[in-house]
Amino acid sequence: MDAAVVLPKLLALAWLLPLASFTLIVFFGPRMGHAGVRAGQVATGAILIGCLISLYALFFVWLPYSHAFETPAEEAHAAAAPDHPAATGDEHADASHGDADHADAAHGAEGHAAASHHAPIIKPIAGDWYALGEFGSLRITIGYYIDSLTVLMFSMVTFIATCIHFYANGYMHDELHDVVDHEVKLANGHHLHRPGRFHRFFQYLSLFCFSMLGIVIAGNIAMIFVFWELVGICSYFLIGFYIERKSASNAANKAFIVNRIGDFGMIIGLMALFGSLGTFAFGDLTREVDGKEVTEPGLFSLVRSEANHHHLVVPDGMVKAAAADEIAAGAEPTAEKIAEWRGETEPKQVGRYAYWLLVVAGLGIFCGCVGKSAQFPLHVWLPDAMEGPTPVSALVHSATMVAAGVYLVGRFFPVFVPEVLLVIAITGCITLFLAATIAITATDIKRVLAYSTVSQLGYMMLALGVGGWVAGMFHLITHAFFKSLLFMCSGSVIHACHTNDMMKMGGLRKKMPWTAYTMLAGCLAIMGAGVPFSIGLSGHYSKDAILAQAYSFKDSNPSFGFLFYVAALGAVITAFYMFRLWFLTFAGEPRDHHIYDHAHESPKIMYYPLVVLAVFAVGVGWSTTDFSWFGLHHLFGEFGVRELLDQAQPVGTLEPTHGVLLENLKYPSEHDSHLDKYHITAELVAFGTAISGFLLALAMYDYRILSAAEVRAHFGPIYQLLIHKWYFDEIYNALFVQPTLFLGRRVAQFDKQVIDGLIDRLAWMTRGVAHLDDLIDRYFIDGLVNLTASCTYGVGIWFRGAETGKLRQYVMFIVVATVSLFFLVSLILAGGP
Amino acid sequence: MDAINWHSFFFLFFALLACGFSLAVVMTSNIVHMAFYLTLALGATSGLFFLAGADFVGAMQLLIYVGGTLVLLIFGVMLTAKGPFISMKTSAGDLVLGAGVGGALLVLLLAAATQVDAWRVSEPSPPVAQVTASRLGMALLGARVDKLDEKDPVQARGMSGYLLPFEIVSVHLLVVLIGSAYLARPKKRMVGGPVDTA
Amino acid sequence: MNLLTQPVGVSHYLIVGAIMFVAGVVCMATKRNALGVLMGIELVLNGANVNFVAFGSVYLRPEVTGIGLDGQLVALFVIVLAAAEAAVALAITLNFYNNHSTVDVDQADELKG
Repeated sequence: MDAAVVLPKLLALAWLLPLASFTLIVFFGPRMGHAGVRAGQVATGAILIGCLISLYALFFVWLPYSHAFETPAEEAHAAAAPDHPAATGDEHADASHGDADHADAAHGAEGHAAASHHAPIIKPIAGDWYALGEFGSLRITIGYYIDSLTVLMFSMVTFIATCIHFYANGYMHDELHDVVDHEVKLANGHHLHRPGRFHRFFQYLSLFCFSMLGIVIAGNIAMIFVFWELVGICSYFLIGFYIERKSASNAANKAFIVNRIGDFGMIIGLMALFGSLGTFAFGDLTREVDGKEVTEPGLFSLVRSEANHHHLVVPDGMVKAAAADEIAAGAEPTAEKIAEWRGETEPKQVGRYAYWLLVVAGLGIFCGCVGKSAQFPLHVWLPDAMEGPTPVSALVHSATMVAAGVYLVGRFFPVFVPEVLLVIAITGCITLFLAATIAITATDIKRVLAYSTVSQLGYMMLALGVGGWVAGMFHLITHAFFKSLLFMCSGSVIHACHTNDMMKMGGLRKKMPWTAYTMLAGCLAIMGAGVPFSIGLSGHYSKDAILAQAYSFKDSNPSFGFLFYVAALGAVITAFYMFRLWFLTFAGEPRDHHIYDHAHESPKIMYYPLVVLAVFAVGVGWSTTDFSWFGLHHLFGEFGVRELLDQAQPVGTLEPTHGVLLENLKYPSEHDSHLDKYHITAELVAFGTAISGFLLALAMYDYRILSAAEVRAHFGPIYQLLIHKWYFDEIYNALFVQPTLFLGRRVAQFDKQVIDGLIDRLAWMTRGVAHLDDLIDRYFIDGLVNLTASCTYGVGIWFRGAETGKLRQYVMFIVVATVSLFFLVSLILAGGP
Repeated sequence: MDAINWHSFFFLFFALLACGFSLAVVMTSNIVHMAFYLTLALGATSGLFFLAGADFVGAMQLLIYVGGTLVLLIFGVMLTAKGPFISMKTSAGDLVLGAGVGGALLVLLLAAATQVDAWRVSEPSPPVAQVTASRLGMALLGARVDKLDEKDPVQARGMSGYLLPFEIVSVHLLVVLIGSAYLARPKKRMVGGPVDTA
Repeated sequence: MNLLTQPVGVSHYLIVGAIMFVAGVVCMATKRNALGVLMGIELVLNGANVNFVAFGSVYLRPEVTGIGLDGQLVALFVIVLAAAEAAVALAITLNFYNNHSTVDVDQADELKG
C-alpha cells in the first residue's frame, strides 16, 4: 500500500464528505424528516465517517509510512560521519543529519534520554488533484500537502467536530419547532416568533467542516486563501445564526469586517510571494509538462533549498525582484551575480531589500493569521462571536477555525525569518496577557472562555514566535480538545440555566454532575495541572513546552526576557480565571434559586461527547514514553502527539539562527528547550503558576477568604480597565468607527446637499428646458406642420370642389382660363412698353 | 357704285352659311338637327377653302370630314338616338353661363382678328392659277417644290417637308383604328351567375 | 355693303374662324349629349382650320412670305386627326352608352373629386 497514493485519496474522501452533506442539506434540508431533523443525522454521519477515515489514515497509513522512513534514517544516523556530504544526501537524510548533531549535543551535555527527539523527518506528500486554471505562470490548483501535521489536524478536527455534531443534535433541538426568541422584541411589543432552523445550522456546520479541512489539506497558499475565506463566511453565518438579534448580526458583521482587515495583509503577503517566487505551492510538485516529468520547487524548497542545507536563504526570485533596477540596467542575473547581490547589504542594499521582501511576505501572511486567530490588535471580534450557538463557539471559535491562523503560521514556519518570528512572539505575548486579564473580570461564562481562547491562541503564537514549532502545534492540538470540552460544558450549563451570567449560577454541580466534573477536567487541563517530572493533563505538557521554549529564548536574548515572564504570569491568570469560572458556576451556594431549581442535567447525547472529550483532554498529551515505567513504548513504539509533530517539524527550522536586520536576535534550536537547565525551570514555573492561580481562585471564590468585592474596590481603576476590555472597543470606536461614520455622514450630507442639489437643479433645469421645448414643439413646430397640413388639406378640398367630374365644366374652365390669360398678357404688354 | 367683287360675294355667302349653321348647331337641342346643321356648316367651310385657293384641302374637307367623319357621327347619333337622348335640354343657367363665356371669348378673338392691319388691308391679288394637290403631295413626301428658290438660309430650313409627321399620322391612324375597334366591340352581357355546367 | 365690292382679307376669314370656334366651344360647354360635345369639337377644329388655310392663302395675302403651303398641310393633318379623334370618341361614347345606357355627359362624373 503506497501511502503517497492512498493518503491523498483517503483524506480527500474525508474532506469531501461534509461538502456532500452540505449540498444535500442545502437542497433537501427542509424535507429531511420533521422540521429537517434528519439533516442533523446526515451531517453527523458525514463527519463521523470522515473522522473514522482520518483516524484510519493516521493509524494505518501514516504510521507505517513514517516507520518506513525511520529505519534507513537511523542507519544514516548511525553511519553519519563528521564529513557527511550534506549536499548529496536526500532530503530527510540530510535533515536528520543536522537534527542528529543537535540531539547528540543535547545528549552529550545532559544525558537526556529523549530518543524521540531525533525522529527522522518524513518527506511530505505533496501534489495536485486538479488544476483549476493556468494563466501564464500563475497556476491555480486544488492540491494537497500531507505531513503528519496534516493527518493529525484532520483527525483532531474531524474528531472534535464529530463530538460537537452529536452534542449539537441535542443542543439545537429547540430549533426543531417554532421558536419564540425572547431576546428579540418586535415593534408591536411581542417577541419574535419564527420557524426553527435546525437544518440550516447543520448545513453551515458541514460547510464549515469542509472549509476547515480544506485549509488543513491545502497544498498551496492560494487554496488556503480560498478556504480561509470560506471558513470566514461560515463563521459569519454561524455567529449570525440568531440573525434577528441585533447583537448577533452586529457580531457577525464585526467578525467579518475585522477578518477582512487581516485578509488584506494576507493578500499583500500572497502578492509578495507570488510576484517574486512565481509559485503558490508549498511542496515540490512533480508533474508532466510536454511529456517530461518536471519537478517545480515549492515555496519551502525555494526558501530553504537543499543546496543551502535547508538554511533560510533569501530565494533567488526575491533577490531578482530586489535587484530589478540592476537588471533593468542590463545586469545579467547569473547565479554568481545573484549570490553577489544577496550579500550586498551596503551600500547598494540589494540583499537587504530582498530580505525585506521576505519580511513583508511573512508579515503579510501573519497579518491574515492575526485576523483569523484573533490576535492583538484584531482580537476584538472573537468575544462578540459568542453570540452564535454554543456548539459553534466550541467548534468554530475555539477548537478549529481560530486555530487555523496558528496552523497557517505553523505551516509557513519555514518561510518566516527571525524578525517576523519576533513580531509573532510579541503579538502573541501581548494577546495572551490582554485576553487573560480581561477574562478575570468577565461574568458571561462564554466570554470568559472566549478570552481564554484568545489568550491560549496568544500562547501558541508566542510559542511559534520564539521558535517552538512543536510546542506551539502541540498546544494547538491539546487546546482544541480541552477548549471544545469547556465550551460544550458551558453550553450545557447555558442549556440548563438559560442564562450566560455566572453571577446567577452557583452550586450547579449537584444538579448536573456530568457537566461539572467533565468541566473540572477541562479546567485542570487548561491550567496545565500535573505532577512535575512525571505525569499531568494534556495542557501540562504543551504549556511546559511553551514555557521551556520561552525560557530558552530568554537565555539567548536577555532583552526579550519579558516574553517568558508574561507567559508565566499568563499561566497564573489562566489558572485563576478558569477556576473562578468553575467555582462561580458549580461550587458554593446557588445565587439565583429560580434558575437553580429549573436547572437539570443535559440529555445523554449532550454529555456523552463531554465525557469523550474529557478523556481526550486529560490524555491527548500523553506519549508512550511518559509511561516508560509501564513499558508501553515497548509495545507500541514511541507514539504520541508530540512524536507525530516531531515528524512534521519543517526541515531546517531546528538550526539555531539569528536575525539579519536585528543582528542580536538569536534563535536557539527548539531541542535546546529540552535541556534540563531550561526544562526543569520551566516545569517548576508552570507548576508554581498553576497552583498559585488555583489557590487564589480557591481563596476568593470558594472559601471566600478574600472578598472579590473588596479586591475589586481596591483595584478600582484596573477593574474598570479590565471590565471595559482595556477599552479596545471604545478606542476602535473612537479611532476607526466614529471617523468612518463621521466621514460617511459628511459624504452623505455632501451627497444629499451638493450632489443631490446639483442634480435636482439640473433636473429642474432640464425640466424647464423640456417644458419650453414642449411648448415650442407643440405650438411652433406642430403648428407649422399642422398649418402646412391644413393648408394642403384646405387647398385640396378647395381644388376637389373644382374636380366635379363634369365634362362641360372643364370646358368652361379652359375657356375662362384662356380668356383670363389673354387679358393678363395683354394687360402686362400694355403696361410694359 | 363699284362692281360686285364676286370673290367677296361668294366669300360672304359661304361665310354666312358656315357661321349661321354653326350657331344653329349651338342653338338647337335636337341631336339629329345638330348633325344636319353641322354637315351644312362643314360643307360651307369647304367652300371657303376653295375661295382661299386651297383646292386640295377643300376637297379633303368634303371627302374626309363631310363624307367620313360626319357619317361616323351620324351613325353614332343613329345608334344612340333613343327617346330621351334625342333632345336633351340644358339648364338655363348653363346656357347663360355658356353664352357669357363664349361671348367673352368671341370678343377676344374678334379683337385679335381685326387688330392687325396687315390682315385687314387686302390688295387685289393677281389671280394665279395654282393647283396645290401635287405640291402638297411632294411636301408630304419631303420635297418642298414651292420653296426651291428660297435664298434665305433660315427660310430654306422648311425644305425638309413633312415626311416624318406624315408617317406619324399614318401610324396614329392605324392605332386609332385598332383602338376604336377594340373599344366599340360588342360586350358579352353576363346574365345571372356563372353558367351551370352540370 | 362695301364687303361686296372690296376684296376680302385674312381678317375676314379669321372672323369666320372665330365665330365657328366660339360656336364649337359653347357647343361643348352646353350640350349634354356626348355626341353634341363631339360635334362641338368638330366645329372648333374647323374654325382652326379656317385660320390655317387663311394664313396660308396666296390670294388673301399676296405679300406672304410666311407659311404658304404649310397652312394647308397643317389643315390636312388636322382633318386627319379629327377623323381619328372622332372614331375614338365615338367608340368611347358607344362604350359609355353600353355600360350606362345613357349618353348624358353629366352622368359620367366618376372622376369627381
